[in-house]
Amino acid sequence: MLTCDTYRLPTSLKEALALWAGAPEGSRLVAGATDILPWAREGRAGDVHLPEMIDVSRVAELCGYEIADGRVRLGANVAYQQFLTDPVLRSHLPCMPYCAVWFADDQIREQATLAGNIVNASPAADGVPPVIAMNGDIEMARLEGGEVVTRAMPVAEFIMGPGRTKLAGNEIVTAVTLDSMQGYGGSFQKVGQRRSLVISAVCCAALVKTDASGEVFEDVRLALGGVGPVPMRLTDIEDMLRGKRIDRKLIAEASVGPADRVASRSRVAYRKAVVSGFVEAAIEDALVELGAPEPTPEQREAAHV
Amino acid sequence: MMARRMRGRGVAASWYGIARTATIDRAGAWAELDDGGTAKVVTGVTEIGEGILTLLAQVAAEELGVRPEDVTLGDNDTARSPEAAHAGATRQTYMIGNSVALACRDARAKLFAEIADHWDVAEDTLRAFNGELWAEGSNLKMTMEEAVAVCKRRGVVPVGSGSFTAHGTGLDPVDGSGSPWQAYVFGTQVAEVEVDTITGEVQVLGIWAAHDVGRAINPRGVEGQIEGGVVQGLGQALMEDYQLDKGHTTTHGFAKYILPTSLDIPEITSVIVEDRDPLSPLGAKGIGEPALVPTAPAIMNAIHDAIGVRITSLPATPEKVLAALKAKQQSEQQRQAAE
Amino acid sequence: MSDFEMELEVNGRKVRRRIEPGQRLLDFLRDDLNLTGTKEGCGAGECGTCSVFVDGKLVKSCLMPAAKAQGTKVETVEGLAKPGELTPVQRAFHKTGASQCGYCIPGMVMAATSALRENPDAGIDEIKERLGGNICRCTGYTKIFEAVELAREVIAGRLNPATLEADPAGESFIGNNVRRLDAPSKVSGRLRYAGDMVMPDMLHMQVLRSPHAHAKIRSIDTSAAEALDGVACVITCDDVPGEDGFGVFVHDQPVMARGKVRHVGEAVAAVAAEDIATARKALKLIRVDYEELPGLFDPEDAMQPGAPVIHDYAPDNIVKHIPVRKGDVEKGFAEADIIVEQTYETQQVEHAYLEPEAGIAYVDADDVVTVISPSQNITHHRHMLAHIIDRPINKVRFIMSPVGGGFGGKEDMIYQGMLALAAMKTHRPVKLVFTREESIIASAKRHPSRVTYRMGLKKNGRITAASFRMISDGGAYGMSTEGVMRKAAILSCGPYDIPNVQIDTYGVYTNNTPSGAFRTFGGMQAQFATESHLDICAEKLGLDPFEIRRINMMRDGAVTHTQQKLGSVSLARVLEAAEKASRWEAGPVGQRGPVRGDLGGEGTRQPCTLGSRIKSADGHNKEKVA
Repeated sequence: MLTCDTYRLPTSLKEALALWAGAPEGSRLVAGATDILPWAREGRAGDVHLPEMIDVSRVAELCGYEIADGRVRLGANVAYQQFLTDPVLRSHLPCMPYCAVWFADDQIREQATLAGNIVNASPAADGVPPVIAMNGDIEMARLEGGEVVTRAMPVAEFIMGPGRTKLAGNEIVTAVTLDSMQGYGGSFQKVGQRRSLVISAVCCAALVKTDASGEVFEDVRLALGGVGPVPMRLTDIEDMLRGKRIDRKLIAEASVGPADRVASRSRVAYRKAVVSGFVEAAIEDALVELGAPEPTPEQREAAHV
Repeated sequence: MMARRMRGRGVAASWYGIARTATIDRAGAWAELDDGGTAKVVTGVTEIGEGILTLLAQVAAEELGVRPEDVTLGDNDTARSPEAAHAGATRQTYMIGNSVALACRDARAKLFAEIADHWDVAEDTLRAFNGELWAEGSNLKMTMEEAVAVCKRRGVVPVGSGSFTAHGTGLDPVDGSGSPWQAYVFGTQVAEVEVDTITGEVQVLGIWAAHDVGRAINPRGVEGQIEGGVVQGLGQALMEDYQLDKGHTTTHGFAKYILPTSLDIPEITSVIVEDRDPLSPLGAKGIGEPALVPTAPAIMNAIHDAIGVRITSLPATPEKVLAALKAKQQSEQQRQAAE
Repeated sequence: MSDFEMELEVNGRKVRRRIEPGQRLLDFLRDDLNLTGTKEGCGAGECGTCSVFVDGKLVKSCLMPAAKAQGTKVETVEGLAKPGELTPVQRAFHKTGASQCGYCIPGMVMAATSALRENPDAGIDEIKERLGGNICRCTGYTKIFEAVELAREVIAGRLNPATLEADPAGESFIGNNVRRLDAPSKVSGRLRYAGDMVMPDMLHMQVLRSPHAHAKIRSIDTSAAEALDGVACVITCDDVPGEDGFGVFVHDQPVMARGKVRHVGEAVAAVAAEDIATARKALKLIRVDYEELPGLFDPEDAMQPGAPVIHDYAPDNIVKHIPVRKGDVEKGFAEADIIVEQTYETQQVEHAYLEPEAGIAYVDADDVVTVISPSQNITHHRHMLAHIIDRPINKVRFIMSPVGGGFGGKEDMIYQGMLALAAMKTHRPVKLVFTREESIIASAKRHPSRVTYRMGLKKNGRITAASFRMISDGGAYGMSTEGVMRKAAILSCGPYDIPNVQIDTYGVYTNNTPSGAFRTFGGMQAQFATESHLDICAEKLGLDPFEIRRINMMRDGAVTHTQQKLGSVSLARVLEAAEKASRWEAGPVGQRGPVRGDLGGEGTRQPCTLGSRIKSADGHNKEKVA
């Protein structure tokens, strides 16, 4: 059971930062707030009393998104459902709809934010692999002498381990900035114990761009989740494929390596077994998104001889 | 190298006993034909979601000659209704349904005696259905509202009671011999699955479920029971797993205790088979529990058909299925290498 | 604490309230506005019984701090239609029989409504995705899907609204799909379950539960809890006036732990207070001095000589052993051409009814101790409670409130005794609602099983003998274990005519969460083994799986494993019906999947590939671009 003394709904970033800086020890910042109530229950944190909850969901500066210079800047309040419903985001972030549709359910996606998912820093977070594959940066703000000061860093650096990030005590995450991936094919593989409202055992995000002929990998982005303390970008596999002629055998070969990198605390054998197949399927699916035909079982078999 | 997605089919049969096991089961009910041609039926246990209230209203309506919506059911109160024992053991339709039928017949007999006398016809010529009462072979006809009024003007309140018994016997403590139930049902289910050989995930795409229910009083309700039973069976087959670590649960909520959602549901084709029970007024048996029995083995047999591995320990999680598949592939490779 | 000043619109009406700042939207709707159509099933966003619209978007109100709804428009199930009316979605649920226990149904109706508002032309795959956050434990979802598709067609004007009306009476109400009489109250959220009920002057109960699997209780000190402002009473086993024990077959479980605890989550003491928060505070003030005892967590360990004893009356830790013998198994195995051996295991399964346990008890004007709860067995509960509180049977009254799913899990009287004792001690109504987590640790599970199977068969597939031994973890208390072992034994070897059988089922005490009644009562565990085993035997003998069953099936007049002579046996009919309906392609068991000709087609769905709406949206875009 969660109780708190004060609930705040600031509407500007400055107000939010001031409240946050002045909040008593143990206060919590929330945006979508979908994680805090389940956390304050038996079997997890139990009964929790917070002095103050500061809800940033109405902070104007954190809402909406902008696209400029090949980057998409998502305000921290952008919720998962927008990746499914907003045609502009769908076109610039082509693997995000597939990631989003696997994330929780339609109702939670209306509230839960991508930024919140990153800040939680769960090893199984669905949103982080695509973000790091898209060279995601996270932007944080704090007050210094009454003025808003921001800094940014790559999300891959920001997440230090399960539940640990480089967010300072007085900071609020304001945005997540990603490469615009217009023209890429995107895909997202995930397996859990079922298909809705489920935590990933393994997930894999892929973004693929081909040259004008459609026969050469112009660019490939790959990242895995659920396989270690932090999500994993597969830059060496990307390098192996970039500039190469698209070939099923090459894809199959490239997919073998990542299995050895599984460093999760549990279910290592399973995750290793899934990873290679996932990397291969993620690339294949992304190519299908670009209009390539689905590989037939025979082609698949031939690739693995 | 298998295709990513492999399909297969399996079958399992089952049997089940109706009502309490290896004991005498009994249930009681009261019925009254009420003003306006309505009815009151009172019994000690009813709805836990299976639809028994509606079924009892259908039975009462049929026996009393009124409409189901005219039946008021008073129930579920140990101080205000007769004993009907518990809501379980696939006994509701059989035990409560038959006791309500008997109570209604008792009440109807009181009414028919008065009306037969009033019309000066033989009681066995009287029929009542859907709010009307008539004498066969004549043009005598009235509404049930009028019939109840006539009966009461003659000084009789048409009330009845019923008690239904199912005669099970205990088991011998040494060889287990005995007749635990007087009614048995049988069922068979076929499952079609698709196994993802990358993840080990199993999707059940189709279930064909043929069940003997004795007599389907509300076929749609029977289907609902079959569909619900199948999905509980599917949950146990593939994902549900209450886990303990030295007596402490590690599956303390629905985030960890995984239940089937709308995305895990096969197309379910119910086939209702009716082999009427000869020992009870309604001839119906039951379906609540039996529907679940064959689902898990049918799915496991289908997984074997798809990818050649036997899962003998439930649930067949993606992890377990993939481990079994890898073990099988390894042993095949070793065998090939040895040859 | 500074109260939060709420202003919002709920179901079209302006609402202004001062609320507690940490309160959930769910509690605000239920407790402050009495809109109890919005249910609590899990409190963790995992089940969808609490779904409501906030500014037109469906959300889970258990995940939302109420303050977040400040200034918004909230729509609950009560607001979908005018009083006395139903929306097409609600009427479609009524028509198709989409509600069973009804507890998930308000949330499900909201999710269905949202799906069709978001996309009035949603196809079945998109509908399923949009219902993906709402769990239903009764219906198997199938009639719900049918209802949403029916509503979609009616709303779109492609089907006549008359489709939603009742079927005609025809010539009989038997065999007629009469619409459920209780559906209108369920689809509209009007039906009140025990947790939705309130009584004037009502107290709220919370329960202190054991953190240990097996421990002696040296002492319980409740004085500090009793002294807390707002606490009306604290009860322990010392408050039981009569014979303290309940259970379906053996009365081995005290209302609250007496002398020792036998599983984690066992009730030790309970507090009744003016509100839940106070009751929870009081729990933390109860001091229990435990002395931990060695625990037993595996039934085979518990069966070892010298194992710790969990109940004094059962020094071997056996709750029940059921033997069944017919013919001569050794002779039968000697006659067999092949003998197939295999072990099978099934897990503990949670009932997961969407309605957690809840109840209200009070003492009425005639001194009748009354308990309202979703009990599946009010008759037996009345008998047991009369003994426990030492009152004549007619001074104890049980009322069965609408049951939001049972499946056997509400046959055990695990909390009604505490409610009765607190009501007797305070002479005020007392209410208790379990949290989901509490329900999971305190209620019984499906018995897990380990079966050792041995079956002898002739080459022609005829079974000559079967030996079946099942060991089952009964957990800390007897509950329904005896009956489950009996049913498992009777049904174990399936509906097959086997001349020689040797069957043993053992239910064993451990310090695990108790196992109890669960839909099939041992039948599924036993037959899972048999039906898997027959498939293996068919594989070894090169038989079709239907064939091996037909060779051995019971026929009219068959004699069962317990030597009961049957009348009519419908097995041949159901086998044929399933075979025909599924267009089964006959052939020996083996890995035939890849070459079967009967896969796919009628009776199957497409595999779920998430994101059907993405493809249709992108298709739409591409059309626009073109």
